[in-house]
Parts: sequence; C-alpha cells; structure tokens
Amino acid sequence: MTSMESFQSRFVEEATDNINDLENALLLLEEDPGNKELVERVFRAMHSLKGGGAMFGFDTLSDFTHHMESVYDLVREDKLQVTKDLLNVTLDSVDLMKKLLINDENGPDEASGEYRALVSRIEGFLKGAEVNAGQGPASAGTTGIAEPEKQGVSTYFIHFVPDKDIMKNGTNPLYLIDELSTLGKTQVIANTCNVPDIKEFDTSKCYISWEIFLSTSEDVNAISDVFMFVEDDCMLDIHKLSASDLLNDDRFTREIEGYRLIESEIGINSIKDFVDSLKEEDQARQSQSSKKKVTNGRDNAISSIRVSSDKIDQLMNLVSELVITQASLSLYTENSDNSELQPIAESVQKLTRQLRDNAFSISLIPLESMMTRFQRLVRDLSDELGKDIRFSAKGTETELDKTIIESLTDPLLHIFRNAIDHGIEPPEERIKKGKPGSGEIVLKAFYSGANVVIQVSDDGAGIDPARIREKAVEKQLITPDAVLNSKELLNLLFLPGFSTAKNVTDVSGRGVGMDVVKRKISSIRGEVDIESSPGEGTVITIKLPLTLSIIDGLLVRIGDSQYVIPLSVVDKIFAVEHETLAGAYNNLVVLDGEQVPFYYLREEFGLAGDPPATEEIVVVEYENVRIGLATDSVVGEYQAVLKPLGKFYKEQEIISGATILGDGSIALVLDTNKIINQFSNNNKIKEELS
Amino acid sequence: MEKTILIVDDSESIREVVSFTLESEGFKVLVGVDGKDALKFLNGDNIDLIITDLHMPVMNGIELIREVRNMDTYSRVPILFLTTESQTAKKMEAKEAGATGWIIKPFVPAKLIAAINKVIR
Repeated sequence: MTSMESFQSRFVEEATDNINDLENALLLLEEDPGNKELVERVFRAMHSLKGGGAMFGFDTLSDFTHHMESVYDLVREDKLQVTKDLLNVTLDSVDLMKKLLINDENGPDEASGEYRALVSRIEGFLKGAEVNAGQGPASAGTTGIAEPEKQGVSTYFIHFVPDKDIMKNGTNPLYLIDELSTLGKTQVIANTCNVPDIKEFDTSKCYISWEIFLSTSEDVNAISDVFMFVEDDCMLDIHKLSASDLLNDDRFTREIEGYRLIESEIGINSIKDFVDSLKEEDQARQSQSSKKKVTNGRDNAISSIRVSSDKIDQLMNLVSELVITQASLSLYTENSDNSELQPIAESVQKLTRQLRDNAFSISLIPLESMMTRFQRLVRDLSDELGKDIRFSAKGTETELDKTIIESLTDPLLHIFRNAIDHGIEPPEERIKKGKPGSGEIVLKAFYSGANVVIQVSDDGAGIDPARIREKAVEKQLITPDAVLNSKELLNLLFLPGFSTAKNVTDVSGRGVGMDVVKRKISSIRGEVDIESSPGEGTVITIKLPLTLSIIDGLLVRIGDSQYVIPLSVVDKIFAVEHETLAGAYNNLVVLDGEQVPFYYLREEFGLAGDPPATEEIVVVEYENVRIGLATDSVVGEYQAVLKPLGKFYKEQEIISGATILGDGSIALVLDTNKIINQFSNNNKIKEELS
Repeated sequence: MEKTILIVDDSESIREVVSFTLESEGFKVLVGVDGKDALKFLNGDNIDLIITDLHMPVMNGIELIREVRNMDTYSRVPILFLTTESQTAKKMEAKEAGATGWIIKPFVPAKLIAAINKVIR
C-alpha cells in the first residue's frame, strides 16, 4: 500500500466517524435547535470532511460538503434558523456523504440526480438567507498548486520595506530573502540607514529594508508568493528589469557592488536607467538547490490509536492458541517431577490469563456506537408514518465484543422497526386510549454476570395473544385446541414465517420476522425473550455473552469424557454419595437444606462404565432456577477456547461448543442455560398435564 | 540542529499526513489534538514552529495562537495555521491573533514544506 492509499483509508475511517458524529449532532440539534455548541459541532464535522476530502482525493465529497458548510456557516452567524426543513435536507445530505465516501465509480457523482437535487435544495437555503454564497468550493484549483510555466531567465528588482513590527508574529524577514534566493540568483543590498542609535534600539523591531536583484526563470507571481504572509505588513515593489540574466553580466554586478557603498536606497529609476544603458542580452545558467535534512525523531503523544480489526482478530486468535498451549504446559508440569518448572508454568498461566483479558477488552466497543442509527431510524420512520415517537437510551456505555455488536445491529433494527410500525399507535389513537400523544421507545443495556442484557421497550399497543393464537392456527402452527399460556403464545412469534401485521407495510413485515431475529441472536449465543401486555407495550430482552471465543469454565469428568461448564453460572459444588443420587425420588436431591432437581449426566449422555462411590454435583443457576449437574468428579478451573461444533451437532442445544485440552483431547462445553430451560419447560408441561 | 514542529489538528488523517511529510523531511514532530492538548508541549522552549488547524473542539486555533503569543518563550515562535477558507476574514482574524502565515488545505507535501521554509530554517 502506498502511503497515499494508507492515508486515504485512514481518512475514510475518520470521515466515517465524522459523518456519524455529524448525524448524531444533527439529531440532538433537532431537540434543541438553539444550541450553539451543537451547531459548532456540525460545522466542524463538515469542515473536516471538506478539508480532508479534498486532500485525499474525495473531491466530490469535499465539493458537496462545501455547500452544506456554507449553510451552517450562516447558521453560526445567526443568519439562518435551524428548522425541521433544514435538518431534513442536512440528514439527506449526510446519507449522500456516506455514499460519496465510498468513492465508487458506480456511486453517485456531481452529475447524479441525488447530488443535483440536494445541491439545489441547499442552495434554496442559501438564497433564502439572501446571502451571496459565491465562494467557490475548495477544490485543488483555488490553491494554485499548478506549476507555473517555465520560461527564460529574467531579472527582477525587488524593493522590500518591512513594517517595523513585522517580527512580532514570528516572521523572520531574512528567511524571505533566503527564500528568494532559492528562486534564482540574487544580489541583496540591505539598507541600514534607518537603524537608530543604540540607546533607542528596540531588539523586537525591524529597521532594515532590502533591495534585491533576482535572476530567475520563475514569474512575478512566484516572487510575490514569497511575501504572501507579509503582504499586509510591508511595502513591496517588484519590477522586471530585463528578460535576461543580468547577474551573469559583469558590468551589471560591478554596478551593484558600487551601490553597496552608498548608504541610501538605490531606487528603481536609477536602476532602470542603468539597465537601459546596458542594452545587452546574454544566455545564462541558473541553479537551484534544495537541501534535504535526514534525521528523524518521533514523539507521539496521542492517547489512543486506531488498529484495523483484522489485526485484533489475529491477536485474539493468537491469544486463543496461547491459552491452549499454556494448558498443555500446565498439564505437562503437573505430571513432571521437575520442581523448577512449577513456578514457571504458574506464572505463564497467570500472564496468559491477564493477556487474554486485556486482549478481550481491546475488542470491546460500547453500544453507544450503534445508537445514532436507531435514533435516526426512529426519527425518519416516525415522520414517515405520522407518529410522534421519542427515543431514549440508557447504559449505552456498556461494552460488547465487536463481532457481537456487528451481528446485533440487524436484529435490533428489526425490533425497532416493529416497535415503531406495529407497536406505537398513531397520536389520535393514543390520546383516545388516554395515553400521551407521543410514544416512547427506550433502550436499556446493562451487565448481568458474564452477560450483557439489552432491553428494548415501547409503550405502544402491545401484542394481543388472541391474535397470535388466531394467526398460529391459521398458519397451522398449532391446533385449534392447543392449550398455551400467554407466554407460550408470545414465543410462537419466534417461529419461522410468523408475522402478525395486518398489512405488510413498507417498513416492517417484509416477510422477515422475529424468527430471523431469534436465529441471529442465537448465532452469537444470545437469547431473546418477549414480554407484552396488551394496551401497555412490549419489552424485548436480549441477553448476550460478553465474548464469544474464550470462557472461564469448570472442567468436570464423567467416565473417560471431560466436559466444561461455564464458570459464570456455577453456584456451588457438592460431593454426594452415589447411593443418594441413585435412590433419589423424581431426580431431586437435598443440598444445603434445599431441594434441588438434578440431571444425572452419565445417564443423560448415555455413557458406559460404573460411577464412583462419591460423585460431585455442580449446581448451576439461571433465571432463579437452580439445578444440579451430577458428574463423576470436578477436575478444576479451565480456560476454554471455544471451537464450534460441526453441522452434525446442529440439532442439539445442550452443547455449545468444544475445547481442546492440554493433552490434546477434546472436551464438550455444556450450554447450561439451555439445559435449565429445557428442564423447566419439561416441568411446566408436567405441571400442566397433572 | 533538528527542528521541532508542533502540529495541532483534531483530524487524525491530517495529523498523520502532515507528520509523515515533516518527518520524512527530517523534522521532529509533536502532535496535539486540539488547542488545549497542544499547550502541554509549550512548557519548555524546544518548539521551533507550530502548525495549527483553526476549527477544533475544546480550544480552537485562534485561541491557541493568542495563548501562545502571550507566553514569554513563544511570543515570537512562527505559527502557521491550516485553513480551507479562501475568504480573507478568517485569515485576517488569525493573522491579527498573531499567526505568521497559513497553509491552505488541500495541499501537496511540496506546498507544506514551502510554507514551512518561509518561516523557519
């Protein structure tokens, strides 16, 4: 990758952030149109996009953003009000900017309808403000980067009289003279006749003026460019003396040497007279030099850096491999007589764990990053549907693994669409029901053990269980006489092909239903649950693991096989006589004075062999349900690197993956939540049957 | 002597491209993300040139220029500002605040170096 390409890709990342920030600020501005700080934030984001865009070859983006920036410049100066109309145009512009940033040949350009339509809408605002927006866009042309045409060598006379205060802004006039000499050959005469007596001399002032003869192939613009920063702080005259190189002419240089002896200014007139008198032309050489200093140093003081996600993925993979290798080392150490190996293996284990946690925290990103999209969706959709909906979010600082966030966006967008389209009623209807006219959608995120819970609730119409039943029967998902409680009816929504919308609208109900949401959430080992009270609203709860790839587990043994139980769900471990378990009635065992149902895993998994006399029960807890998992023995804590199971294991739900142990053998990782769910469902069915 | 240049810009890509260009020219480069951030480098007297953006959060370029001009050590340090504006108003404001010169974005590396050569050696 050339450095320009790498700068470009960096710019794209940054511009994406800028566009998101812009969008976010605009949405906030809508709530608080008078907020100057927000206007400034909008302006700044546009400004950066414009400047960066032009520098990194995104000219269309830059030119387009320039139009928007002009509008917000007026807003900054109170010449234009922030109105709903303006925000609509701006948000549409943001959408176009996103497309322009892709810089795709097939994407929109200046000629596309979308671009032209938006520009004319934007210009409407500029005209509306009755301000002449005549500044051209900041294209490369305005900066005069184009090389001047090369021509023959000419000689110029430059009279430079700096203001006395020219040095106060950090200007050093000598550098300007030096710079002139890079344009060609120079003869410089400094005029010191204005330097005062030592008693009146002020070191911060400049008392000297210069007369410079320059022979150069550059044109007069190149010369005045040298003085561009000080144009207003000096008197400057530039005259072309001859279309030849007079400084290569002995007669001319002798004349100049003569001038050096005079204490006053030479003046253009006497020079011109002399040049006229020479009437001679010569061919000449010229030299240009530019030095390159080759040293290097770097003192970078930025508190955060950007890393490509590929690199993070790679890091995670390496950490996973390291964890597996470390397990081998620990195992080898345990079986080895070498006592010196023990502390080394232990510190490797400790460091690996720290490294693992650290690497994980790198790939965690806050939910905040998704909020703008939801806010925008709520705004645009509610407008489109004529509904009045407020969106608020709590706990958006909650962090999740980046891969989880990525897989979460679509399901959440779907849930939002449902809430806006089907959940929240139109204002008239709400008022009739005695609710406030504007609806509310709240997203709440929080940590819960090793999980993150995300709840999306609305105060809309809720879901009518009777309608679900009707629909389910119609779709032959259940028989008309099926006995289902309202919770189970709601769970029917997760079945493939179920959609309760009366009409398929443009917004949701495109045939993609809650089943897809459930599938996507399951694919990241999450769970989704729906609660709804008719007339009051719906709450959708998503529970997600913090991370997908490595978990802290408890390694247990049953016969020759080993299994991993996620440590996060483990409550307690009890040693129990085999007799007690074998004789237990209805798979219930009394532990700590409490009846706990248990799964006899040896039996459940159909493992052969005889159980030991004393077995160990691992009690796990989920949603206030405690159940025991009876095993032969608990081996110990174990960091399990989760590897997916092949498709042959797709049909089962109680194993979530496999992990490689230190000795190279495989242990299956139990999905205890699913086991508990299955267990409690079975129980419920039993209860209902009895 | 190796010259030290302080770059102040809230845009990471601009910071990068400017640092890259200057470092390959042999300058030592310090970077600040906004005016306030830049002030932490201005305790000593090792900075030979400041290049700052004008629009930045927290403390903008104009404010930074004023602040620097009030420092004993840096009242004369050359300051260049980055601007996309072709209007004279912004330039005048920055110049009045005490800036030495400006660099118009977008720029090619040669333009950047040319502007720097106007104010330091």
